[in-house]
Amino acid sequence: MKREWILEKNHISYWLRQLRKDRDLVGPLRNEGKDVVFMTVEQIHEVVLDLPASLPSPKEFLFPQYESMLRFNVSGKVPVAGPGAKTVSPGACVECSREGDLLDLADRRRRLVFGVRSCDVSAVRLLDRFFLEGFRDPYYEQRRKNILFVSIVCNNPDPTCFCIGLGTGPYLEEGFDIQLTDLGDRYFVQASSAEGIRTVKDMSFLFRRPRKADLDDQYEVFLSAKARFHKRISLESSRRAILEGRVKDSFWRRVTERCFECGGCVYECPLCTCFTVADRRYPDAVERIRLWDTCLFKGFTRMAGGILPNGKRMLRTKRWFYHKLVHYPEVFDEFGCVGCGRCAVTCPGRIDMATIATEMKGLDLDGSEQRP
Amino acid sequence: MTRSSSGNVYVPFGGKVEVVIPQARDISLFRVKTEAPLDYAPGQFFMVSLWGAGEVPISVASLSRDDAVVDLCIRRAGAVTGALHALEAGDTVWLRGPYGNGFPLDTSRGRDVVLVAGGIGLAPLRPLIEWFMENPGDAGRVTLLYGAKSPGEIVFRDEMEQWRDRGIEVLVTVDRAEGGWEGRTGLVTGLWQELRSDLQQATAYICGPEVMIRAAMGELFLLGMPEERIITTLEAHMKCGVGKCGHCYAGPRYICTDGPVFSYREVKSYGLFLSR
Amino acid sequence: MNKILSVCPYCGCGCGLYIHVEDGRITGVSPSRTHPVNRGSLCVKGWNAHEFVAHPDRLETPLIRDAGGFRRATWNEALTLIAERLEGIRAEHGPDSIGVLSSAKCTNEENFLMMKFARAVLGTNNIDHCARLCHSSTVGGLAAAFGSGAMTNSISEIADASLLFVIGSNTTEQHPMIAMHMLAAVDRGATLIVADPRRTQIAEFAHIHLRHRSGTDVALLMGIMNVIVGEGLVDADFVRRRTENFDSFAEELKRFTPAAVEEITGVKANDIRRVARVYAMEKRSMLFYAMGITQHITGVDNVRACANLVMLSGHIGLPMSGINPLRGQNNVQGACDMGALPNVYSGYQKVADPRARRKFERAWRKRLPAAPGLTIMEMMEAARAGRLRAMYVMGENPLLSDPDINHVREAIERMEFLVVQDIFPNETSELADVILPAASFAEKEGTFTNTERRVQLIRRAVAPVGEAMPDGDIICALAARMGYSMSYRGAYEVMEEIALLTPSYGGILHHRLSEGFGLQWPCPDSSHPGTPYLHRKKFAKGLGTFIQVDFLPPDEPPDDDFPFLLTTGRLYFHYHTGTMCRRTAVLEREEPECLVEINPADAERLGLKDRSVVRVTSRRGAIEPRVLVTSRVPEGTVFIPFHFIEAAANVLTNPAMDPGAKIPEYKVCAVRLEKIRT
Repeated sequence: MKREWILEKNHISYWLRQLRKDRDLVGPLRNEGKDVVFMTVEQIHEVVLDLPASLPSPKEFLFPQYESMLRFNVSGKVPVAGPGAKTVSPGACVECSREGDLLDLADRRRRLVFGVRSCDVSAVRLLDRFFLEGFRDPYYEQRRKNILFVSIVCNNPDPTCFCIGLGTGPYLEEGFDIQLTDLGDRYFVQASSAEGIRTVKDMSFLFRRPRKADLDDQYEVFLSAKARFHKRISLESSRRAILEGRVKDSFWRRVTERCFECGGCVYECPLCTCFTVADRRYPDAVERIRLWDTCLFKGFTRMAGGILPNGKRMLRTKRWFYHKLVHYPEVFDEFGCVGCGRCAVTCPGRIDMATIATEMKGLDLDGSEQRP
Repeated sequence: MTRSSSGNVYVPFGGKVEVVIPQARDISLFRVKTEAPLDYAPGQFFMVSLWGAGEVPISVASLSRDDAVVDLCIRRAGAVTGALHALEAGDTVWLRGPYGNGFPLDTSRGRDVVLVAGGIGLAPLRPLIEWFMENPGDAGRVTLLYGAKSPGEIVFRDEMEQWRDRGIEVLVTVDRAEGGWEGRTGLVTGLWQELRSDLQQATAYICGPEVMIRAAMGELFLLGMPEERIITTLEAHMKCGVGKCGHCYAGPRYICTDGPVFSYREVKSYGLFLSR
Repeated sequence: MNKILSVCPYCGCGCGLYIHVEDGRITGVSPSRTHPVNRGSLCVKGWNAHEFVAHPDRLETPLIRDAGGFRRATWNEALTLIAERLEGIRAEHGPDSIGVLSSAKCTNEENFLMMKFARAVLGTNNIDHCARLCHSSTVGGLAAAFGSGAMTNSISEIADASLLFVIGSNTTEQHPMIAMHMLAAVDRGATLIVADPRRTQIAEFAHIHLRHRSGTDVALLMGIMNVIVGEGLVDADFVRRRTENFDSFAEELKRFTPAAVEEITGVKANDIRRVARVYAMEKRSMLFYAMGITQHITGVDNVRACANLVMLSGHIGLPMSGINPLRGQNNVQGACDMGALPNVYSGYQKVADPRARRKFERAWRKRLPAAPGLTIMEMMEAARAGRLRAMYVMGENPLLSDPDINHVREAIERMEFLVVQDIFPNETSELADVILPAASFAEKEGTFTNTERRVQLIRRAVAPVGEAMPDGDIICALAARMGYSMSYRGAYEVMEEIALLTPSYGGILHHRLSEGFGLQWPCPDSSHPGTPYLHRKKFAKGLGTFIQVDFLPPDEPPDDDFPFLLTTGRLYFHYHTGTMCRRTAVLEREEPECLVEINPADAERLGLKDRSVVRVTSRRGAIEPRVLVTSRVPEGTVFIPFHFIEAAANVLTNPAMDPGAKIPEYKVCAVRLEKIRT
């Protein structure tokens, strides 16, 4: 059965309006004429349809920067934080014992995120494997169960984009919920997941079957999208350079000199998942929260007694790239990078995947990576 | 794995501290009793927490029996372990787990066993000692080589006689002899020649500070013990225990879910030693 | 999910960020991609700026001290008590027995209201804030030379400069997003010169790194100028048309030969010559400085020397050419602009100037005091002497930030009445009689002015925690209780009053700021587009003045008893007294303790290793931090960050001040080290 339809552009507002009835509709909105960001859509007409290729990652809807995990109600047994209170005083909560007081704060809100890109959908596929294989992460799982992505085929990639070399964009053959291709006056609509198909079929009166001309136009868009990429990057050649020992520590030392330790590459990466856990002690409860964390900080692996196993910055940069270029393929058979280019947008020191991969490409076979 | 009814792997369950047995300065053994029986294996760990202080991974220091009890040997080293040290009998402590792979007892079946421990690193090996005592046919000769900084820092001192009585050879050495110590001094890795086992045929289980593990593994290998029978358990910063938070990620492996027990072969090929 | 555009509450870069809000709670932040300063990046503090807002330690209700400590109080109770006590002390001892500390963390509107409160309600010019401790030398030094004390260029110009001279600024760590632009310039071929005794990260990128002895900046700069004059590299045309007093200044310079300067600074004469030539010859040269210049007893002279240098080579008054003091706090520029200073109203209009005073008196319908008030350090001195009896502290923590804090504690303990208004309890509030809970940056409206004079809106993303109120609302409520009506419908109305009374802010109104990313002052009227760089065609004061400076050694150089030179500063992961960052999980984890940086050679001599505990003693006190052995610091020098109450560097620091700016010499004092344990 064909899962392809045509949606006239002047029907899209109506469609989104209907979808919003039982979901929080998140879409790209222009903030006072400046940035385009994903926000809850209040006015459907404000959704930006000609959005820039690269927006902040929608990872935050599945794995937010600050997430409350558990709440332990302690009915007044925890001392009130007064002047001078700074950290949790040891042993304060030893009396808290009843299991009935524990609340699981997993977010179960139903969301529809409109306007994400194929690279992000590809990233979510990998996040699913990371969070849901082995032990299942319940916070991710609840959010994931309740989210639907409507992605848009990229026909105007940013200069930082390189999904084309990874097969993670600019369009996908499968593995998405609903994928739209902009054909000018209409969208070519494809649905892949069960929820995506159901969502389209629920309002089948808005859609029509595609004709030959529609298919031709869609193919045209795909072709022109592929032609517009500035960056052609093979992470496979980077991986080989590493595995074959051509990337020496001096290379990592040199690129690391410019690291500002901001964590931006990790925070922006649609695939980075590290977090830390902290307890916040309120007068009536303790909240266990998790926060985005990054392996690029020396304290990330700090051991008892202040020992820093990754004290050198160079080791941490190397670890990040090894994880994405070497270890991901070993475990998941895919790179830990979807070519979205966000690290290039955010890194103040220009230590991003595309730049590093390009530099590795320039390494001589004899290992003389030191260039003037 | 966890006993939470919600299916949320991060939800801990409560246990009562039955008794606190001081072992050395800043090291105590906490015997924790839970409502339902606990099923854990030597080498596994629990995420242990107090609300408001946080969670830390602690290896089991006892052998799992049908009595819903686990021994946790804890050194005061930071905010959470500091808070745990304030616990007294009757207090509640929170647990998740057990997690991790545990010691591969198959590798020592029918063989001589060398247990090498340094400092509080004896705690994760204690369940192995108990196992070998209670299952004397499982392995051949079992020898414990234990090193501590000073006589005052020896843990489980009271139990060593009992271990000896039940067939475990126990050799103890200290870095600094103090307070009338008449036993051995020097590094634990200086005790190989006192062993009466054929190292090429034996299995080693090692736990202690990383420098000690590193030295012991390397030397046993040079003495002819095959890499896959030199086994250790590693320590790492952890926030989740279930392979998600990323802190213990080393090489392509997570210490929490792929370990914490690894053979020398794995340690070398994955580059698992943290200090580089 | 709502995303509210705001401005980072940490440093003076003024990065644009979005606060993410869901169900009334903050779930994260993200950088603005089109903001002219940060362009899609943030530093680690910016990325983590969301976390402290909901921290359980936040002050949620007013607290009043009673016999057993602090008790919760209603706003009415707390404000009534404050009004009564302040009125009582004023009636008995006069208005100048009260002092006010305003805050570089609060908005322009709030600083304006606080300075209005001090002058019109309390009737005193005793108002100051922490700019005294960071850039008062700039405000004094540059105003005298040019007529305006602020960064003359814009951050977005940096990437196009061809020479960057960075002196006394650890830019990569303290103004990371400015450093990002500097590295971009270097990538495009610009020359980078760094002068800093410490080998900071930015110094790693420098083509020339001058490691002069701490406190010898005047000599170093004079040496460079000596070469410029001696080798005929002066921009003679610029000096003739745009400046005055060159000749007598040139005479002064003659003593500072490269050889003489090498003797004082430890910098090779040849390096001084190299720097002089490259700095003077390049066009599009930008000079940057920060606390390494200002926090000395010769802070003003250091600034004047920098000003002379840029005039000498004509590197000012053009895009990519100027002198750029990097301001520390998110709104320290604005707090100064708003007149939270003892001698000026907003826009640096002098209180001693009868015309300016009359203008404010007419607008506020109140007689205003004419004599300039006391600076922070003078207030503390007056308190110790029993002359200053009450203090109102808004968003500051002098008990950790001021030099010689044992003395500061003494001063505060002598006061009859102390009010502290803050978002978190801090070291100072522990001594307060009343503590008022304030709203954080994410919970209120207003504007911050960043280091490049860009006035930007912050917006309310979530409701204040508990009963906390925006600082401005608290001041207005208190003024009403003291019989003076300060009533505004919102921060935008306060800004209208600021625009009315402040020529440089004349065209800065909230509705204009919400289009684009703010406006850069001077912006005299509502059609003015703002000013990206200053002193075009003529200086603010007309001609630029070469002001004589002379080299004076630090007040307390090392000697036999105290053989080490201690210099203090900040760490990348922390900010000032740590009230926010030390309550942020990742930031606190990265730098949980105070480490004293010591050179490997010194460490070996003293038998110290990494993490050894050492007692650091100065003439004023002692602390016991752990050791970090690093060649970042030169031999004979140690560095201690001042964030940590556990080992407070300011127990040690010397309160000796610059005579003009009254800025203390945080950057140099003498200490001795004793090993406690390895």
